[in-house]
Amino acid sequence: MSSSTVSRVRRQWPLSPWLFAAPGLLIIGAFILYPFVSTLVNAFTDKRTLIPGEFVGLANFRELLHDDMFWIGLRNSTLYVLGVVPALVLLPLLLALLVQKNIPGITFFRSAFYTPVVASIVVVGLIWVWLLDERGLINSLLETVGIGRIGFLSDQWLLLLSAMAVTVWKGLGYYMIIYLAALANVPRELHEAAAVDGAGAVRRFVTVTVPAVRSTMALVGALSSVAAFKVFSEVYLMAGPSGGPAGEDTTLVMLVQRTGTGLTGRVGYASAISIVVFVVTVALMLLVLRADRRAET
Amino acid sequence: MPISRRILAVAAVCAVLPLSGCGSGDDGGSSDASGRIEGDITFQTWNLRANFKDYFDGLIADFEKKYPGTEVKWIDQPAEGYADKISADAAGGTLPDVVNVSPDLVAPLAKAGLALDLDKAAGQYKKEYLDGAWASHRIPGMTGTYAFPWYLNTGPLFYNKSLFEEAGLDPDQPPKTYDELFTDALELAKKSDGKVATLANVPTVEDFGRYGVPLMNPEGTAFAFNDAKGVELLTKYKELYDAKALDPQALTATPESSGKKFLTGAVAMNPGSALDLGNFKKQAPNLYKNIGITDQITSTGHVNMYVMGVMVNAQTKKKAASVAFAHYVTDAEHQMSFAKKVAIFPSTAGSLDDPYFTKEDGTDETRVRIAAAKSLKNAVNYTPVLFSEQMKTALRNEVAKALQGKESPEEALDNAVKACDTLLRQQG
Repeated sequence: MSSSTVSRVRRQWPLSPWLFAAPGLLIIGAFILYPFVSTLVNAFTDKRTLIPGEFVGLANFRELLHDDMFWIGLRNSTLYVLGVVPALVLLPLLLALLVQKNIPGITFFRSAFYTPVVASIVVVGLIWVWLLDERGLINSLLETVGIGRIGFLSDQWLLLLSAMAVTVWKGLGYYMIIYLAALANVPRELHEAAAVDGAGAVRRFVTVTVPAVRSTMALVGALSSVAAFKVFSEVYLMAGPSGGPAGEDTTLVMLVQRTGTGLTGRVGYASAISIVVFVVTVALMLLVLRADRRAET
Repeated sequence: MPISRRILAVAAVCAVLPLSGCGSGDDGGSSDASGRIEGDITFQTWNLRANFKDYFDGLIADFEKKYPGTEVKWIDQPAEGYADKISADAAGGTLPDVVNVSPDLVAPLAKAGLALDLDKAAGQYKKEYLDGAWASHRIPGMTGTYAFPWYLNTGPLFYNKSLFEEAGLDPDQPPKTYDELFTDALELAKKSDGKVATLANVPTVEDFGRYGVPLMNPEGTAFAFNDAKGVELLTKYKELYDAKALDPQALTATPESSGKKFLTGAVAMNPGSALDLGNFKKQAPNLYKNIGITDQITSTGHVNMYVMGVMVNAQTKKKAASVAFAHYVTDAEHQMSFAKKVAIFPSTAGSLDDPYFTKEDGTDETRVRIAAAKSLKNAVNYTPVLFSEQMKTALRNEVAKALQGKESPEEALDNAVKACDTLLRQQG
């Protein structure tokens, strides 16, 4: 089609580009923009599930400051990021290095490590609850070897740690695949040159592998920190709907769900918590990406 | 390009409007249910299709035959997230015409003007039901009754006779009151060196009720379970928790998880219903051989009962047909036939005197049914209708703090009452 034909078509069909974009725009508008704007607006109202509510300014945010449960949620979500992200940045990289080699049967191990990723989180959660129960397999083994039973699911901190372990276990395979792709692009010559210079495996990992996959590590860090801050399923399944003993394992997203749903849900207040979650996750993303840029320069 | 902008604006409005959650915009508000019984209505149940499809298909077919020109579309929702489904429908203006509800679900719907006042619209049927059952769907602070009472339920308490025997307790003399329960539970924990707990759940608002604690003030405007008796109950539970007579995971337990603990013999007592006997027989035959069945623990002499209701959407365009169908589902004849299919109890006057609920035939199922029907005659629905899920969580969390020793029972209950009162005020 010549340029004159294109411009003629544009003149005749000024809507044609919009029509092509319309399906995507409608989906984005209905399922992303509208809920986002609606949440933003609701955060400044006292809207409840069945009552439209009125504008209350910053009242919801002021209430957050005095809500113990909000601070518990913020603490747990932050601890989750601190506990899970370093493990999810480092362990999948080590795993990827292990399964990178083309040795017989390695496909089996790659698939095995990836299996938890495709398993349903509900199934995974239930299996780990059975394993960690006071009378579960792990406690029975511990008792057999004389250590005694440990309250993985009844102690506030052990419960949170257990949930973190499940998140790491489930996420390993996913990030391993990302690292495998990155490692495939690391020039073999660099490793060979370092080896010729007498660098051992650890030194080659630090001086060759890590710099080569640093951007990928930043990406994994950003993705996993956002996911960790928004954690819901693992903690909900292991700690129960009340959020662990006395609600001490509640995370922010669990608090949003508990506060804002049901017939008596405080939609306005839950929206205010959602806005805090949004702001923190955006800040986390920017922080990680900025740290990566700074390291590059 | 003015035309394209205009069209885009129209398209955007069209996209957003369906999400705006407007009401159906019909003749809601009137309680007049007179007129011809005809038209299409929707009927929503709570997780009943899997086991009772034939019953409801027959019920609906009979109704449609009795009232030519009517058509009932049956919707069944899963148990999980039922309240969320109703709230989404209510907010979106798509609430079905006739809805299966419990009193705590009716309360916010009635306050939002979405539940039809049956005292006005169907007061002529009131005498067909037990007085207490009809009153169970009244909302403090409002006049009117907002759902037909449907089936009632109460459960016995199951106990593991062999665990009682091993602890030197008489397996044929299970505890009946809270004081007896606490004594036996401490003995069981002591004899088993803390390995066998008697209970796997922290006390709920129903426990406070059964212990004789006033739950709300007489006006229904504030909670009151932080009185001396409430503190006494929680103090006793703390003793149980410290002695491991209450399972250590009780703080995070759900009814399902405590049921499993009972099945595995980790817990000596667990509430349930006649339906559970079948499960025990299938899943834990050894437990079934040793199963003991007793009444709910109560210090008031009144057991707790659960009430199901059938509500009519106040916004329905087919009020006459909806009220007629809701009554049809809950009338004596149909409640009785439903009760014969499943271990529930009719809320209609005189039905509990039917030989089905009074005549022994030697089986455990019948024994449980007769005992439950007998206890229902003076049972109380202890769950306040205004007690929301958020309030349940607030109470549970404060109880957990007291059991862990982070707060005294007085502090914990004061905080729970304060939190529940705040939530009550926020409900409007």
